[in-house]
Amino acid sequence: MLNHMVHQRIADDRLDRLFAALSDPTRRGILTRLGSGPATIGELAEPAGMSLTGLKKHVQVLEDAQLVSTQKVGRSREVRLGTERLDDAMQWITFYQRLWERRLDGLEVYFTLKKGTDK
Amino acid sequence: MTETTETFELRMSRLLPATPEEVFDAYTDAEKQKVWFSILDEDPGVVEIEVDLRVGGTQTAVWGPNRDELFRETQVFHVIDRPHRLVTTSTGSDPSGMTMTTEVEVTFEEQGGGTLMSVVQSGFPDAETRDFFQSMAWVGAFDRIEAYLSREAA
Repeated sequence: MLNHMVHQRIADDRLDRLFAALSDPTRRGILTRLGSGPATIGELAEPAGMSLTGLKKHVQVLEDAQLVSTQKVGRSREVRLGTERLDDAMQWITFYQRLWERRLDGLEVYFTLKKGTDK
Repeated sequence: MTETTETFELRMSRLLPATPEEVFDAYTDAEKQKVWFSILDEDPGVVEIEVDLRVGGTQTAVWGPNRDELFRETQVFHVIDRPHRLVTTSTGSDPSGMTMTTEVEVTFEEQGGGTLMSVVQSGFPDAETRDFFQSMAWVGAFDRIEAYLSREAA
C-alpha cells in the first residue's frame, strides 16, 4: 500500500509539472508549433520574439514535464514533442496483451484438464 | 497473435476444447474465473474477481504478486449475447495508478467441435492519433486549461 502511495505521489508530481508547464501561453505556443514538426531553438525563438536564453528556459520546463525532448543536431539543438504519450500507449498494449494471453492460456488449460477428468 | 491496423487494435484468438456455452459461462462466472485465471500461477499471489453480469454491470479483476503491486481491470458490460458475443468497455490500471480505457468485443464461435474465442480490443492511441492530439486537439485543451486557471485566479 505504501508502495502504491509513493507511486501515486510520483504520478501526481508529474501531473503538477505537466499543468505548470501548460499554464504559460509562450510554452503552449511552442507546443502548437512543434505539432507540425521538430524545430531548433532558434526557429522557435524568432516568431516568439524572444531571446535564445529566454526560450531555452521555456523549453527546459517543457522537457521536465516530458512534453518535449531535445537533441543536439550539428551546432543547434532540435526540439520535438515528447514520446511520453506513445510510450504510455505501448505500455498499455503490453498490459492487455499479457492479460488476454493469461485468460486464453488459463481457459485452454482449464478445459483441457476438465476434459481429461470427464472421460 | 497481434496485428496493427489504422486505429490500433489488439486481436487475439484461441480454439478451446469446449462448447460456446461452456466457454461463455466459464469466462463470465466469478468462481470459475478464479480457478482458470490463476491456473498457471506458480505463486498463488493475489486474484480477486467480481462479476455483475448484466448490461451496465461491471466485472472487476484484481491481480498481482502481492498487495503492494496490484493490477486491476474493470469491464462494463454493454452487450451480453450468450453464448455468442460480449461487448464491454475496459479500464485497466497498473500498480502506479495509471489508467487506460478501451473497447473490447469477445466472440465465441463453434468450430470443429470446439469454440474459437476471439478478442478485439480497440481505442489504443496510435502514433497518428497522438500527432493529431498534440497538434490539434490540444488547442482546445489549452483553452479549457486557460479557462480553468483564470477561474481559479478570479
